[in-house]
Amino acid sequence: MHRLYNSLEPRVMDEDMLKLAVGEQGPREEAGQLARQEGILFKDVLSLRLDFQNILRIDSLWEFENLTKLQLDNNIIEKIEGLEQLVHLVWLDLSFNNIEAIEGLDTLVNLEDLSLFNNRISKIDSLDALVKLQVLSLGNNQIGNMMNIIYLRRFKDLRTLSLSGNPIAESEDYKMFVCAYLPDLVYLDFHRIDDHMKEMAESKHQYSIDELKHRENLIQSRLEDEQAQQEELEKHKAAFVEHLNGSFLFDSMYTEDVEGNKLAYLPGISELLQAYKDKFVIICLNIFEYGLKQQEKRKLELDTFNECVQEAIQENQEQGKHRIAKFEEKHLLSLNAIRDESELTNFEMKIVEYGKDITELFNVLMTLEMQLVEQLEETINMFERNIIDLVALFIENVQSLMAQCRDLENHHHEKLLEISINTLEKILKGDVDEDLPDDLRPLFVDKDTIFNAVGASHDIHLLKIDNREDELVTRANSWCTHLVDTIHKNEIMRNRRRVKEINQYIDHMQNELDSLECSDVID
Amino acid sequence: MEVLKEKVEEEAATERAEAAERGEKLLRPLDARREEAPMTQEMLRDLEKKLSEIEIVVPEQPLTFTKDSIDISKLPLSYQSNTLKEEHLLQVADNFSRQYSHLCPDRVPLFLHPLNECEVPKFVSTTIRPTLMPYPELYNWDSCAQFVSDFLSMVPLPDPLKPPSHLYSSTTVLKHQKGNCFDFSTLLCSMLIGAGYDAYCINGYGSQDICHMDLTRDVCPLTMKHKEMVQEEEKVPSKKYAIKPPRDLSSRFEQEQEMKKQEEMKGQEEKQRREEEARLLEVEKANIDPLHGLRVHSWVVVLSGKREVPESFFIDPFTARSYSTQDDHFLGIESLWNHKNYWINMQDCWNGCKDLIFDLGDPVRWEYLLLGTDKSHLSLTEEEDDGMNDNDDVENLGKEDEDKSFDMPPSWVEQIEISPEAFETRCPSGKKVIQYKRAKLEKWAPYLNNNGLVCRLTTYEDLECTKTLEIKEWYQNREDMLELKHINKSTGLNIDYFKPGHPQALRAHSYVSMQPEMDRVMEFYETARVDGLVKREETPSSMTEHYRGRSDFLSYRHVDFGPRVKKLALNSAESNPRPVVKITERFSRNPEKPADEDVAERTFLIQEERIQLRYHCRDDHITASKREFLRRTEVDSKGNKIIMTPDMCISFEVEPMEHTKKLLYQYEAMMKLRNEEKLSRHQAWESELEVLEILKLQEEEDDAHTLAISIYDTKRNEKSKEYREAMERVMHEEHLRQVEAQLDYLAPFLAQLPPGNKLTRWQAMCVKEECLSDFKQRLIDKANLIQARFEKETQELQKKQQWYQENQVTLTAEDEDWYLSYCSQAMFRIRILEQRLNRHKEQAPLKYLALEEKLHKDPRLVEFLKVFV
Repeated sequence: MHRLYNSLEPRVMDEDMLKLAVGEQGPREEAGQLARQEGILFKDVLSLRLDFQNILRIDSLWEFENLTKLQLDNNIIEKIEGLEQLVHLVWLDLSFNNIEAIEGLDTLVNLEDLSLFNNRISKIDSLDALVKLQVLSLGNNQIGNMMNIIYLRRFKDLRTLSLSGNPIAESEDYKMFVCAYLPDLVYLDFHRIDDHMKEMAESKHQYSIDELKHRENLIQSRLEDEQAQQEELEKHKAAFVEHLNGSFLFDSMYTEDVEGNKLAYLPGISELLQAYKDKFVIICLNIFEYGLKQQEKRKLELDTFNECVQEAIQENQEQGKHRIAKFEEKHLLSLNAIRDESELTNFEMKIVEYGKDITELFNVLMTLEMQLVEQLEETINMFERNIIDLVALFIENVQSLMAQCRDLENHHHEKLLEISINTLEKILKGDVDEDLPDDLRPLFVDKDTIFNAVGASHDIHLLKIDNREDELVTRANSWCTHLVDTIHKNEIMRNRRRVKEINQYIDHMQNELDSLECSDVID
Repeated sequence: MEVLKEKVEEEAATERAEAAERGEKLLRPLDARREEAPMTQEMLRDLEKKLSEIEIVVPEQPLTFTKDSIDISKLPLSYQSNTLKEEHLLQVADNFSRQYSHLCPDRVPLFLHPLNECEVPKFVSTTIRPTLMPYPELYNWDSCAQFVSDFLSMVPLPDPLKPPSHLYSSTTVLKHQKGNCFDFSTLLCSMLIGAGYDAYCINGYGSQDICHMDLTRDVCPLTMKHKEMVQEEEKVPSKKYAIKPPRDLSSRFEQEQEMKKQEEMKGQEEKQRREEEARLLEVEKANIDPLHGLRVHSWVVVLSGKREVPESFFIDPFTARSYSTQDDHFLGIESLWNHKNYWINMQDCWNGCKDLIFDLGDPVRWEYLLLGTDKSHLSLTEEEDDGMNDNDDVENLGKEDEDKSFDMPPSWVEQIEISPEAFETRCPSGKKVIQYKRAKLEKWAPYLNNNGLVCRLTTYEDLECTKTLEIKEWYQNREDMLELKHINKSTGLNIDYFKPGHPQALRAHSYVSMQPEMDRVMEFYETARVDGLVKREETPSSMTEHYRGRSDFLSYRHVDFGPRVKKLALNSAESNPRPVVKITERFSRNPEKPADEDVAERTFLIQEERIQLRYHCRDDHITASKREFLRRTEVDSKGNKIIMTPDMCISFEVEPMEHTKKLLYQYEAMMKLRNEEKLSRHQAWESELEVLEILKLQEEEDDAHTLAISIYDTKRNEKSKEYREAMERVMHEEHLRQVEAQLDYLAPFLAQLPPGNKLTRWQAMCVKEECLSDFKQRLIDKANLIQARFEKETQELQKKQQWYQENQVTLTAEDEDWYLSYCSQAMFRIRILEQRLNRHKEQAPLKYLALEEKLHKDPRLVEFLKVFV
C-alpha cells in the first residue's frame, strides 16, 4: 500500500526548496522574465505545489500569507502542523502521507476542499473550524467507527465525501448509513447519490435520525434562548440598569446578611419583610424602566448626531470631488497643450499657469476641509454638552430613587429594631413563646447584642445599595467620557487623513508637472 | 336616381330659404327688444347686410336623409302603429301640451311626439330604448359617447331654430350611420341608461359651435400637455445637529438689485404675453353668431347618484365631450326626458344653464308630465318622504286617478344592435376627420390602412392651417410594434415610439435621416435585452451607449470614430468600418471589490496606444487612484525587446500598496487591458452593425406593411378561417352523406300499404318490384330529359346559324362577335349535355343493380326475399 519511501532520505522544507518551487510554478515567458528580474515575494504566491518531495515535516510556510491552494501530497508527513498562518487557504491536499490524526487545522476557516486520502487516520474530529467545507476526501484510511459520520453532520455545505477503503466502508449498511445521516450530500465515493437511494436510506434509518434531529433541535433552541437572554442582558447593561428588573438587588442584600436572615424568623417580621420587599422591588423596577427610557433617549441623540455629521462630511466630500473632477478635466487639456507646445516662452507660461492651478486647487480643498473642521467642532461641542447633561440628569434621578430605597431600608430597620426590642423584653420577662428558633436565642441575650445584630444587618443592606448606586454612576460617567473622547479622536483622525490625502494628491500633481519641466529641460 | 336627387336638393333649398326667413323674422323683434337704445337706419341696414352675408354659409350639405331612403317595410309592427296605451299616452301628452300653451303662451311648443320614420307620432320617451351593449368597452359614459360620436355622422337640423319634425328610431339611425343632434342624444341616452347611468335627453339651445359640431375654435384635447405636477419639495426640518452653513459673504444689496431687475423683466414679458392673448381672443371672437341663443340643440345630461357619478354633467353627443353644467356653450333648456318621464324646465335661462338646478323632484322648477313613475322625491329628508309617498299611494289606489297613475308604455324601438364589424369600423366607412383649432385629427378603423395607421394628428402654426408644425401618427397591429410616429416639421426630427416586442427591443428612435452614421438616439427596453442597453446616441463621429443592470457593471461606453480610410474596392459600412480613435467606458461600483481595484472609468486612446484608468473613490476619500499605461514596444541597447519599464505605467494611488509597484503586476494588468481593448472595439463594431440592422428592418417594415393579426381575430386570421371553413365543409359533407344513408327507398311504397300490419311475402315482393320499376322509370325519364334539352339546344343553334347565314352581309361587327360567342357557348352546352347523357347511359344499369342489392339487404324485406332466393 505505501511506497518504499524508506529507501529515500527525508527532506527538510527549507527556503531553497520553496524558492525553487515558487520559481518553477511562477509565471512563464515574458512575465516570467519580469518575475525573475524582480523576484517573487512569498506572500504574493497564491498557489503552491510540493508533491513527491519526501517531506517529513511541514515547515517554513509562514511567509505564504495569501496562499489559497497548497498541495503536499505524496510525501511522508506524519503530523499536520505549521499551517496556522495560512488562513486564506481554500484548497489543501495532504493525500498519500503518513498522517495519523487530524489536527492543526483550527485556523483554516476558509478551507473548502480538504483531501486526506491514503493516510492512517482512524477518527474524524478536530474539523470544527472548517465551516465552509465542501469536499472532504478520507478514503484509504483506518476509520472503523460508523459514529464518525454523525460528526460530519455539522458541515452544512458538505457535498462530496469519500470514505472508500476504510473499514467502515466494508460494512453492508455503509452507503445507506451515510446517505441517511448526511442528506445534503451529493457525491459519495465519487458517485452521484441517486434519489432512489436517498429515499431508501431515509426510510431505513428514519427512526434514529428523527431522534437525532430532535436532540439537535433541542440543543439549538437552548443555544438560541441563551443567546437571546445574553443579548437582553447586554442591552440592560448598556442602560446601566441590569438586574434591577426584579428582586435581584433585594435578594443580594440578604445573601451575605446572616443576622438579617436569622431575624426574619421573629414573629411578625416575615409580613414586614414581604411588604418591604414589595416596595423595594417597585422602586427597583422604576429605576429599571427609567434607565431603559434614558438609554433610548441617549441612543436617539447619538444617532441623530452621527447622521448629521455623516451628512456634513458627505456633502463636503461631494464638493471636494467636484472640485477635483473639474480640475482634472482642465488638467488633461493643459497637459496635452503643454506637451504639444514647442515654443519655450509659451511653454514656460503654461507651466506657470498650471502650477498656479495646482496651488489654487490645494487652497480650495484645504479651505473646504478647514471649514468642515470648524463646523464639526461646533456640532461636536454641542453634542458633548447635551450628552453630558443627559447623563447627569439620569444619574440625579437614579440617585433620588436610590435614596427612596435607603429610606425604605431605614424605615424597615426601625421597625425591625422595635420588634427585636419588644421580643427581647418579652424574653427577659420570660413570657415568650417557645417556638423561637434556636439560632435566634443567642441574639436575644441583652440589648447590645440585639442592637449590634440589627445594626450589622442594616449596614450590609445600606452598603449593597450604595455599591449598586456607585457602580451605576461610575459606569454611566465613564461611558459618557469615553464616548466624547472617541468622537473627538475620530474627528482628529479624519481630519488628518483628509489633509494627508490632499497633500498626497497635490504632490503627485506637482511631481507630474516637475517631470514635464525636467523632460523639457533635457530635450 | 338623378331626378330624385334633384328633388331632394330642391326641397332642401326651399327649406333653407324658409329657415332663413324665419330666422330673420325672429331676429328682428329680438334685436329690437335687446337694443333699446335708438338705432340708426344705417346701422340696421348694415346689420341686415351682414346677416344676409352670413346666412348663406349656414347649411351646405344635403339635409337629413329623406324618407325615400328608408325601407319601412322591413320594420316591425310596433314602428308602424301605436298600441292602445301609446295612443292614450299621446292623448295625455296633447292635453298636457294644451294646458302648457295656455299657461305659458310665450314659450315655444313642446317637443313631445314627433313622427317616426313610418310617419307615426311617437312619444319621445318611448323612443329611448335602454340597452346594455355586449361590448365591455361601452360600459363607461366616456367610451359610449365617443362611440356614438364616431359611429354617426352629423346632419344639421333642417331648421336650426326648431326641433325636428321627425325623430327616427335608433335602429334606423344606426343603419344609416347619420343623424341630427336629437338622434345622437337619443341613441347615447339609450346606451347610458342601459349601462346604469341616470341620463336624460335634453331639448334646449346651444351655441353655434356646438350645434354645428364646429371644433375649430377648440384646442384639440390630444395636443394639450399634461400639466406637470409641481412637486413641492418637502423641506426637511433641520436636524438638531445639522451643521451651520459657512457664512455668506456676498452682498445682500446686490442680490436685491438683481432680483428687482429680473422681476421687472418678468413683468414686462408677462404683460406682453397677456396683450398677445387678448389680441388673439379678440380675433377669435370677431364673428358673433346672430342666432345666438336660438339655435336648438339636443344633448345629454348625466345626473349624479348612479354609477358613482359625483356631480351632474352634460355630454355633447356630437363631440363626446363632457361639460360642466355651468358651461357657456349651453344656453338654455326647454325640456328633458328619459325612458320613463318628461320634464319641462320652469326655471329662467337668462344666464344660460348656469343657474339651473337639476332636482327633478322639485315641481316648481321642473314640471313633470307623468306622475308617480319616479323622481318624485324632492330633496327632503328621506323618511318623511317615504311616509308621505306611502300615504299617497294608498289614497291614489282608492281614487283610481287615471292621469296620475299612468305608466310610460314600453319602448316601441327594437333593441339596439351593433354588429362587431360595425363596432370595430366605428366611423362611417372607417374614416373620420375632425378639425380643431390649429389642429386636424384623422381617425381610421384598424386594418383599414395597410400600414396600420389608425390616427393622425396634424398641428399647425397658424389658424388657417397652412403651415404644418408637427404630425403625430398612431399605429396599431404593426409587426415591428411601432406605436407612434412623431414628426416635427420645423426641426425635421422624427421620433418613433415602439411597444415592447421589437426584435431589438427598441423603445424609441429619434432621427433626422434614416442614413446610417447620422445623428440619432435609440432607446431600448433594457430588461428585454441581454446586454442591458438603455440608450444609444449617435453623432456622425461618435457613438454613446448607456447600460443598466449588467453583471460587469458597465454603465456607459463612448466611442469616437476617425474619418474613414478610403478603400477603392469595398465601400459599404459593413466591410469598411470607421477606425476607432477613442473608447471611454465607465463602470458603476462593484461592491465586492475594494475601491482601489474597482475601475470607474477606462479610456483606450487607440492611436496613441495609451490606456487610462480611473478607479472608484473610497467612501471617505475625495481623490481616486489613477493609472496610465503607455504601450511602446522598444528595443534596448542590446537589441532585446523591452517588456516593461517603470515609465510605461504612471500611477497615482490614494494609499500606495506594495504589490502594485511591481512590474509583473503592471505587466499583467496591461496584458489584460489589451485584451479588453480588443473586446471593446469588437463591441463597438457590433453596435454599429446593430444600428444598420435596425435601420434596415425599419425600411423593410415601411415598405412591406404586414400587420399582425391576433389569433383570436377569427375574421382576419386567414389560416384559421381556411381551417374553419374546411371543417365546416367536411361537416356539411358528412351531414349530406348521413342524410343519403338514411334515405328510405321503400318509404313511399310502404306508405301505400295499410299501416300497422306486418308485411306478407306477396306484399314484400310487390313493394320491391314497384320500387325497382319506379327507379327504372326515373332513370329513363332523366335520360329523356337530357335528350330533350340536347335537342332543344341543337335546334336553337341551327336556327341561329340559319339567321346568321341569311343576314351575314348586313351584320355589324358587334353582332358578329355576339353571334360567335353565342355559338361557342351553345356548342359547349351541347357537348356537356352529350357527355352527361353518355355517362347516364353508362351508370344507369349500375345504379339499378345497386338499388336492387340494397333492397335485397333491406331488413324489412330480407326475410321474405331470402326464402324466395
